[in-house]
Amino acid sequence: MLIVEDNQELARNIRDYLGREGYICESCETLEQAKGKVTLFQYDCILLDIGLPDGNGISLLNYLRAEHKDTNVLIISARNALDDKIIGLEKGADDYITKPFHLAELHARIRAIYRRKNLGGASIVEFNEISLNTDTFEIRVGDALLDTTPKEFDLLLYFIVNKNRVLSRQSIAAHLWGDYTDNLANFDFVYQHVKNLRRKISNAGGMDYISTVYGLGYKFNSHLGG
Amino acid sequence: MRLTTKFTLWYFAIMLVVLLIGGAIVYYEIQWKLGEVEVARHQRLNDLIAQQIRDGGDYTGQPTRRRATVMLLPADSVPKGNASFYTRGLAWNPEFQTDEYKLMVTSFYTIGGAHYRITTYSFIPSFYQLLPGVVDSFKWILLVLLVLVIVSGGLISKYILAPFKRTMRAIQRFDLKQKEPIRLPETKTSEFQELNTFLLQLTESARKDYQSLKEFTENASHELQTPTAIIRGKLDLLMESDIRDEQAILIAEMQNALERLSRIHSSLTLLTKLENKEYKSGEPVCISNLARETLAAFDELIQMKEIGLQVHIEKGVYIPLHLSLADLLLANLISNAIRHNEPQGAAKGLIRVELTHEGLVIVNTGREPGIPTQELFERFRKGNSGSDSIGIGLAIVRQICELSHFDIEYQYSSGLHMLAVSFLPKVPASKLLQNLSLPLA
Repeated sequence: MLIVEDNQELARNIRDYLGREGYICESCETLEQAKGKVTLFQYDCILLDIGLPDGNGISLLNYLRAEHKDTNVLIISARNALDDKIIGLEKGADDYITKPFHLAELHARIRAIYRRKNLGGASIVEFNEISLNTDTFEIRVGDALLDTTPKEFDLLLYFIVNKNRVLSRQSIAAHLWGDYTDNLANFDFVYQHVKNLRRKISNAGGMDYISTVYGLGYKFNSHLGG
Repeated sequence: MRLTTKFTLWYFAIMLVVLLIGGAIVYYEIQWKLGEVEVARHQRLNDLIAQQIRDGGDYTGQPTRRRATVMLLPADSVPKGNASFYTRGLAWNPEFQTDEYKLMVTSFYTIGGAHYRITTYSFIPSFYQLLPGVVDSFKWILLVLLVLVIVSGGLISKYILAPFKRTMRAIQRFDLKQKEPIRLPETKTSEFQELNTFLLQLTESARKDYQSLKEFTENASHELQTPTAIIRGKLDLLMESDIRDEQAILIAEMQNALERLSRIHSSLTLLTKLENKEYKSGEPVCISNLARETLAAFDELIQMKEIGLQVHIEKGVYIPLHLSLADLLLANLISNAIRHNEPQGAAKGLIRVELTHEGLVIVNTGREPGIPTQELFERFRKGNSGSDSIGIGLAIVRQICELSHFDIEYQYSSGLHMLAVSFLPKVPASKLLQNLSLPLA
């Protein structure tokens, strides 16, 4: 994974977080360096900041296209400008995220891109007895099909992608309601959703993987009791 | 009062004074001239009579003698120096049987050693008989002048004030946000040139101040984003580490504050973009579908809060608005209605959404706002200061409405918040609220 970001602190945050997930990350600060690196190495995914000291990140997208590099690109922008988003996606970027973002959200986006591009048609995310079909938005626990809402599906996917991580209520709200969280930072809704999800999973005979982290939020534990 | 009217009135007043004085002068002038001409005529008549005497012969029946008196004077009573004098005044006119103005000219002649005094007279029109004529003619002059002044005043002021009016129009069109300096019309009048120079400087400095303020806001907000992202990332990482409960609370509080900061930030950025008119409306967007989609997106929340929902959406309502703005408008209004919803007594909370070709009306139950409803459109104004919101959602809604020339109205009465957006410029939003069928059932 290549992180093209001129702010070193931000790059280190991303590197630390993704490093713990087992990603191998490199970072560079300028467009020139980024071009050098993509020419020499093959990356699964590039995190690309639009505002770079030596130019617009969009030009790296043009470069990648000209060189016929089939790399996934996730754009990181400080400006929530619609044009950036449209141009970026037109030029072959896979997704777009606006600063300031939650690292868990970034991770979820990377995983989504990865699922779409690299796993081909297989759109099943599995964890022990739980399996999620990202095409049909169906959750199965063992063989039982859960009756869940799209938001609950999103939530469980977010938990599983970021398993063993503490997910803050803010991060969950931002993930579920995106731009609208502006008006809906009511964390009771997050609580309600998590509660419903836990109940539905255990009713279907699944294990209760989700635990409350005192004061902060929730965590999906892959090793129960551990 | 208009400038032209003022000028005309002043001119008229001055004209009146001038005409009064002029009238008096003309009156006395005519009076004096009439007398002078008459005196000269009688002098000539007297000379003629004296000539007849010199010639000898009987002229008593002659018409020249009809109003003449010829007297022989003793040598000592002939006045020295003056060969003639005249007198005038009111006297009885036996011909017309009335008192009339009488002019009498007396001349002295020495013919053949004898001294004669010849006096002739006639009746001339008096002051009082002339006066109405003079007044009458001046009345007509005044009338003609008045008409001319009014007509020419209108025409001339139109011509002279034309550059001024053009400047006024330019000023009315002036917008602080415009990129180019204001363009004022050329003029040769020095006062207007001065005015234009002054206006140019004034608007230019206002425009530059606005620009630099805007740039500052934009830069500041842009520069704030990266540090905010860093802090958020660090907190995410810190949460993962081995922390005690009280530290967890501290982190959670920091995250709350950070969340607020980033929300304020993104809202302000959005407002700036709206003000900069970065969203051009393209194709009209079908708000009917959009409203249904938005309601579906919020369906879970509505159910979770156990709010009753009444929806009446006309099909195929298109409005000229950028898709993202229409989306934002609906999302902000509906989420507001959900968030501030409170049940009324025993009854459940309620939201009603009505979308017609005329506009959108959203009614929801809720607590009485602490401030007048119109002020809720201001930034950072909240009806309920304890709430979690940052108080910018409605400011965004208003900005979107202003951009699209939609009228918006917010009313509160007996537990109901009613908000109307009118899509048609001719229909005021308050009318949509009047047409509302209440009470809600």
